[in-house]
Amino acid sequence: MSEPVTNLWSVPLLVMIPIFTAIIVNFLYNRTRAIRFISIGAALAVFAIAVVSPYGLHWFAGHPAVNADGTYTFTASIFSWKLSLEYYYGPLQQILIALMSLLLLFVVVIATKSLSKNYGPYIAIVFLTYVSAAAILMANDFYNLWIAVELGSLLVAGLVASSGTSYAQKAALKYTFFSALAGSGLAISLGLILGITGYVNITDAITFLMTNDLGGMYAVLYVAFAFLALAWIYAGGLIPVHPLKSDVYRSAFPHATVLLQTQSKLMLVAIGIVLLRMFGPLPFAREVMLSISVLTMIIGIVMALIQTDFRWILAYIIVSHSGLVTVGLSLGTYQGVVGGLFQAVNDIVYMSILLLCCEMLLYFGKGTSIKFNGGIAKKSPWLAAFVILGAFAASGIPPFNGFQSELIIIQAALAEGLPEVAAVVLMVSISTFIALFRAIYSIFLKPGDPSPAGQPEAKGFTMPPTVFLFLSVLLAISFVLGVYPQLALGFLTESALKVVFVPWVP
Amino acid sequence: MTEISLQLLGFIAATVLVVVGIAGMLFLDNLIKKLIAFTLLSDGVNLALVSLGYVQGGIVPILEPGASIPEFPNNAALIFGPGIVLTNIVIGVSTTAILAALIVALYKRYGSLKASKVLKGERE
Repeated sequence: MSEPVTNLWSVPLLVMIPIFTAIIVNFLYNRTRAIRFISIGAALAVFAIAVVSPYGLHWFAGHPAVNADGTYTFTASIFSWKLSLEYYYGPLQQILIALMSLLLLFVVVIATKSLSKNYGPYIAIVFLTYVSAAAILMANDFYNLWIAVELGSLLVAGLVASSGTSYAQKAALKYTFFSALAGSGLAISLGLILGITGYVNITDAITFLMTNDLGGMYAVLYVAFAFLALAWIYAGGLIPVHPLKSDVYRSAFPHATVLLQTQSKLMLVAIGIVLLRMFGPLPFAREVMLSISVLTMIIGIVMALIQTDFRWILAYIIVSHSGLVTVGLSLGTYQGVVGGLFQAVNDIVYMSILLLCCEMLLYFGKGTSIKFNGGIAKKSPWLAAFVILGAFAASGIPPFNGFQSELIIIQAALAEGLPEVAAVVLMVSISTFIALFRAIYSIFLKPGDPSPAGQPEAKGFTMPPTVFLFLSVLLAISFVLGVYPQLALGFLTESALKVVFVPWVP
Repeated sequence: MTEISLQLLGFIAATVLVVVGIAGMLFLDNLIKKLIAFTLLSDGVNLALVSLGYVQGGIVPILEPGASIPEFPNNAALIFGPGIVLTNIVIGVSTTAILAALIVALYKRYGSLKASKVLKGERE
């Protein structure tokens, strides 16, 4: 596989523009209009770059050995050492980063309208969270990967603590303490891989492993796998970290949770792919990943079923569906990896719909508990329509997108001779429907309690036009991907092919 | 023999620091002590990474004028270890700052540094 040597300038812009925006809005502090103007402009700019940027590499240091015709070659036997810290921007990165850029735009618009004070630093954290996710998805070296995970975990704490409640501060503290453990583990993993292979570039390290007999060093490789898997578990909120991650999802503002869950999915995909490329051939590696994924799905959905607050239900469904993403990846087959990647895209879309609806519920002023709500469909029929359709998508009901990816994962599990995994995926899908519609019935469809004597009946609730537009766009994406899944699959198949068949290619 | 022991000593000291750090973070009740335990853990990781780059009888990995170029790659210590350590120190300081800020905020709210009291489960 030969590629032309290019050092793309557009790729680092996806990281640099948000970083500079974060610095500027942080200093602007409370200058409302300036912050809104700059942040929306920056979000539009990164979305445009993500859409139009050509595919290729950006080298921060080093470069591959160049052939006589100006290309460089990837082969297992006659390979070109890359020796570089680099970003790779391909179709997978394009669809996921473009989607995250769109959500960044939505989040920035909502945040600059809904927050009343100190939102310069808050918007700065939002942009840096985007940076961490984009960087980890593009990084093809362990150094950038590690930095992005560390940066991401600190930003999660910042974003959660920004909501200002004591519960959020506790969640942020617990999450940061664990991030110290996982981050240190990742640093050790990086050191061990560097010690075994001598290369920090992921492509180089994989090529070294494929072309050299490690002899007695396999035990060290397993230790490196264990520490990297710990970072994967931590970043994605898989078991046993799910209580910390669900606390985080529940404690942040729902619009911030849109970004947090997107960041988690991107980290799961990015680290999951590195685990597969590097450690996939090791005995028991994929089995360990699959076991963690299946347990996360089950525990997440069981926890969602017993919650009595819509925010908690969504938090645990996000955790459970993270397991759905990783099940596909952990199967390690072409179909499984495609299913996992597609599930990540779909999950980001439909959970964003539900989280934005949850944000509207908070505007409504009656909280998100399913015990003290009711009759909201009558007062805000559009909101009810969006949440019901979003729940259909999350439950894997056609013609929405969740159905397509779950079908691929089920087929992949059956093809691998794992009907029990397929059954668990099906159970998660059905349980998601039950958990969501229990809440939706209580909050939206059930007749509301009459207002206490002497108090006027609550008036109808008008959804802000921007939120209506955002929800419509997300629902349209969900529907279009449900009817024409090939639109997204076209972006995902190349990456899946590389992961499964040519793992030394980024 | 002495030099091999030096690297081994580095790994042993790093292991002790990491184990003490993890144990402190998990089992100590005082949030400030947990924070100190985290810095021990971070130092242990740094020591492990530096020890990893040690080369027996090696030289500083800076190519100085007049140095033997063929001998340099064979004798130079692994440069990436200290490079990663520099980054890890920055990350450690950032994490410590965020943890300290959160601990101060929670102390102002609850008037206690006991994790068992401050982090007690509650649902708002």
